[in-house]
Amino acid sequence: MKKILVIALGIVTSVGGFLEIGSIATAAQAGADFSLQLIWAIVLGGICIAFLVEQAGRFSAVSGRTIPDAIRERFGFNYFAFLYVVLALVSLLVLSAEIGGVCIALELATGVGFQWWAIPAAFVIWLVLWKGTFGVIEKGVSLLGLVTLSFVVAAFLVHPTWGHVAKSALPSLPQHDSAHYWFVAVSILGASISPYLFFFYSSGAIEDEWNEGYVGVNRIIAAGGMTFGSVISISVLILAAMIFAPQGVKFEHYSQLPQLLTPVFGYWGFWLIVASVGISCLGAAMEITLEIAYLTAQGFGWNWSENQPPKAEARFATAYTLTIILGALSNILGIDPLKVTIFSMAVTAATLPVSIVPFLFLMNDYSYVRVYRNSWFSNAVVIAIIGLAFVLAVVSIPLQIFGGG
Amino acid sequence: MNLVRDCLDKVMEDRNKRRMGRVDGIVLELAAGRPPRVAYVELGVKTLMNRLSLRLGRVIGRFMESRHIKSTPYRIAWSAVRVGLNHVEADVDADKTPALEWELWLRNNVIRRIPGGK
Repeated sequence: MKKILVIALGIVTSVGGFLEIGSIATAAQAGADFSLQLIWAIVLGGICIAFLVEQAGRFSAVSGRTIPDAIRERFGFNYFAFLYVVLALVSLLVLSAEIGGVCIALELATGVGFQWWAIPAAFVIWLVLWKGTFGVIEKGVSLLGLVTLSFVVAAFLVHPTWGHVAKSALPSLPQHDSAHYWFVAVSILGASISPYLFFFYSSGAIEDEWNEGYVGVNRIIAAGGMTFGSVISISVLILAAMIFAPQGVKFEHYSQLPQLLTPVFGYWGFWLIVASVGISCLGAAMEITLEIAYLTAQGFGWNWSENQPPKAEARFATAYTLTIILGALSNILGIDPLKVTIFSMAVTAATLPVSIVPFLFLMNDYSYVRVYRNSWFSNAVVIAIIGLAFVLAVVSIPLQIFGGG
Repeated sequence: MNLVRDCLDKVMEDRNKRRMGRVDGIVLELAAGRPPRVAYVELGVKTLMNRLSLRLGRVIGRFMESRHIKSTPYRIAWSAVRVGLNHVEADVDADKTPALEWELWLRNNVIRRIPGGK
């Protein structure tokens, strides 16, 4: 009974915590520019992240270690230092985008410019981390994030052609603007296969004291949570395809977001967008901040746990405090959050191999995962994801230059 | 024992199971006509930087000294070290070693001064 509750809560929190500013922006852009055609990118990204999250959870439940912990042990400091610099920089960019998302929601709600909200938003994020526990962040914020299900309801109410939706789940070649099409596809994959998601999940398994008994639970949560989460992203794309694309409207500014829900829900659609964007970005910002602090503490062997008071882990608390300050900077300076978001998704895609390649070794290392090693099928999937990650790494920056506009 | 696999980069705990950091380096002692002997394990920023590049280690070391921060790595005699399955244990009290110097400084001078940090 307890495990059923854990599974239910795990899936609900994964769903509530799945959507963030990157998925919203890239899905909205894809729907506006290419109608339903890019649904396959979300499906592909969802499958990849479900496998990686499952493996990260299984690794931590069985070995009692997090992925960064094991990377430092197994690959040595030099590789860890490289991963740390790359991942910290990319995560900081994504954090800036998420804080930007919170600020945009507040701008929509109040009419006051987003940059004025950067410091209050950063302070609220810090305060929750300072006073709260892992459970508060994981469950509390993610449960509030269920408001994003309003996108799913709206997607049903706009009556898309479901046959067309299903057909778009398979990859197809662009009919126009090839460079931009592939750029948006890469950005969607960058938003879906976010390293912070599986690194955070791995630390969460340790925070929640998972053990071998949770291997099955983890599998269901990873598959269920990521599948339902992808459904929300697809819903955003469907809405943009049904509302923006027929009018030839490009998604160029976050102020256009309310137009996704107001045609369906009227006045309440506006507030649902504000709540969805604000809460989902707040949750993602907390998770990314913690992920950077976890990565730092685990890599250098400090004490770490969000369940301990700050004085018990002064370096960990300092790490997340500095992370929030750095993450808020671009918003304080007034840099357009949408540009930061799209850029950060492309950069995430470019750096994926660094985070994903270690999985292949760690998930087959008997000294860590014993009999819970990867099957040939899981290894084949990881190799395919690594192949995809290398392709994304090579093409993302050229596509950013030629197709990002 | 395979020193690199079983000891280097493993989490180091003190005798009270408190995390001190990771084994950043291993020091071997060479004597004429005798096999190398493990003398110490090291913890410290300079040791880590030396692993990336000796020049970087020297630059960081000089920078730390110019800021009056001790750059010499903290050494623990191999005789006080026990290599376990998942971690390395040192027969020392972490609070009284330089390994937790920064942790204690931050706790006493920064964290405790912030409301809710006590």
